Amino acid sequence: MNSRRNFLRQMSGAALTVGAAPSLLSWALPNPQSGAIDVPGEDGLIVRSFRFVDLETPVEYFNTWLTPIPHFFVRNHMHEPSELNASDWRLTIGGEVEKPFSLTLSDLSKLETHSVVNTLECAGNGRSLHRPQVPGVQWGKGAVGTARFSGPRLRDVLQRAAVKPNGKHVMFRGLDEVPGKVPPFIRSIPIEKAIDADTLIATQMNGAPLTKHHGLPARALVPGWIGAASCKWLTEIKVLESEFAGNFMNPGYRFPNQPGKPGEAVKPEDTHALTALNVKSAISAPLDGTKVKSGRAAVHGAAWAGEADVVKVEVSIDGGTSWNPASLGHDKAHYAWRLWTYDWKAKTGDYTILSRATDSQGRSQPSTAVWNPSGYLYNAIDRVTIHVV
Amino acid sequence: MSFKKFASDFALRESNVDRNGSMWGQPPSAVRPGAARLSAMLFTAMAAVAVILPFSAFGQKPASVKTTEDLPSGSMQAKATTSCLECHEARIILQQRLSKATWAKEVDKMIKWGAVVDANDHDALIDYLSTNFSPDQPAYDPPRTSIEKPLGRNGEAKHAK
Repeated sequence: MNSRRNFLRQMSGAALTVGAAPSLLSWALPNPQSGAIDVPGEDGLIVRSFRFVDLETPVEYFNTWLTPIPHFFVRNHMHEPSELNASDWRLTIGGEVEKPFSLTLSDLSKLETHSVVNTLECAGNGRSLHRPQVPGVQWGKGAVGTARFSGPRLRDVLQRAAVKPNGKHVMFRGLDEVPGKVPPFIRSIPIEKAIDADTLIATQMNGAPLTKHHGLPARALVPGWIGAASCKWLTEIKVLESEFAGNFMNPGYRFPNQPGKPGEAVKPEDTHALTALNVKSAISAPLDGTKVKSGRAAVHGAAWAGEADVVKVEVSIDGGTSWNPASLGHDKAHYAWRLWTYDWKAKTGDYTILSRATDSQGRSQPSTAVWNPSGYLYNAIDRVTIHVV
Repeated sequence: MSFKKFASDFALRESNVDRNGSMWGQPPSAVRPGAARLSAMLFTAMAAVAVILPFSAFGQKPASVKTTEDLPSGSMQAKATTSCLECHEARIILQQRLSKATWAKEVDKMIKWGAVVDANDHDALIDYLSTNFSPDQPAYDPPRTSIEKPLGRNGEAKHAK
């Protein structure tokens, strides 16, 4: 059964098929002069990095409530697993539990399935917009997408393992492969979030099995939290007494307790681990720097707020002098973004269009995001400039 | 879809891969630099660019259609390529716009994480990176992945109300 063992070796990798590209490029791509790279299953995404694979969703794809998987951003810190096979895959549950055990794919398939529509966003989304600029993948606005994630509840698995009273954090380890001496991508979440009814061991996105880029065969899904919490290619769940001590918990993925001066170092003791996302909106149309015909026009976008609900989106077409309420789309779910639209009558001229979301916790997007050395949680009021002809 | 169906899809994919799997070698996300297979694949692909594009009726610029980029020329190009691109591709560097002090921190972090940099080259490497990728440089223009299933004939998508 060697074929079975190697069934994923060749799957889902990016590959160059230049011959087919030019005819498509001539009309399908917004910026054909940049060229295109063929990554099977990933359509029209911005290539931030090919190795490791880091792909960004262009904002024009924020036009459906559920993001189609080919347009869903991909974030990797490491090499994806070079080999995955169904028969050998195991998920072990151990640490501070009474009854450690492991699950096969078949075992996992017998557990009750639950679905959560979640907006997944990389903590570094918008990093390129911070000033002064900070190191890291230079995400624009599109390291975010929304999907229906399905799979067993993490708490059902933890319950079976019987967490000891001293078990306070839950660590996830994936099968991604570490280059050089890079610390492994291991993080943990507090037990309260782990046993939340909406925290999943997800095996599906939008009703289909996870693709390799999204963590096949199973990933953690920690709804409303930064994407880094939702470990892909999940293979180990370990209950710990305290937060996992590793690079991607500290100094990685931490945020200043108080806003400091842009460009100034932040002391480690003045930071906290990132958890839930903040309130944010993005304009998906018109696109920045484009020309628009005069007459009836619409501004479209999406807005999200992590564990909170978006209650209001306002649009300004005069650079922030006046604000108008946008109408919110009818599709909604607790952890999912809301699409929104604002109709206006466009007259010839230059316009700066802004969008600002407010959430159920009373948070509103600031005019300037809180600068931090790693460029996390950029959420300034969104802005595009257009010319109406 | 039930998870049982999911498991059977797994098996289906497996047979698909068996039929077509030898086309590409390992997924590039897993390919290590220096792997002969990748080199062979890239060589073949580049040869394909050279042969096919001149005959293309569309005349697209092929220059940027590369899976991975190169670092800019300079006396440190070769050494930076060896030190940095062992673990990640050049685009990660090409898109940074950082001060010299921040570049120095990045280089030291990468050395801690396994990048091999000769002590004699340390300062020259930081100079090379901070000269080529300083905050005043224009932003890097990334390529996109090609579109297998376009949403609309004009490349624009409909917006739901």
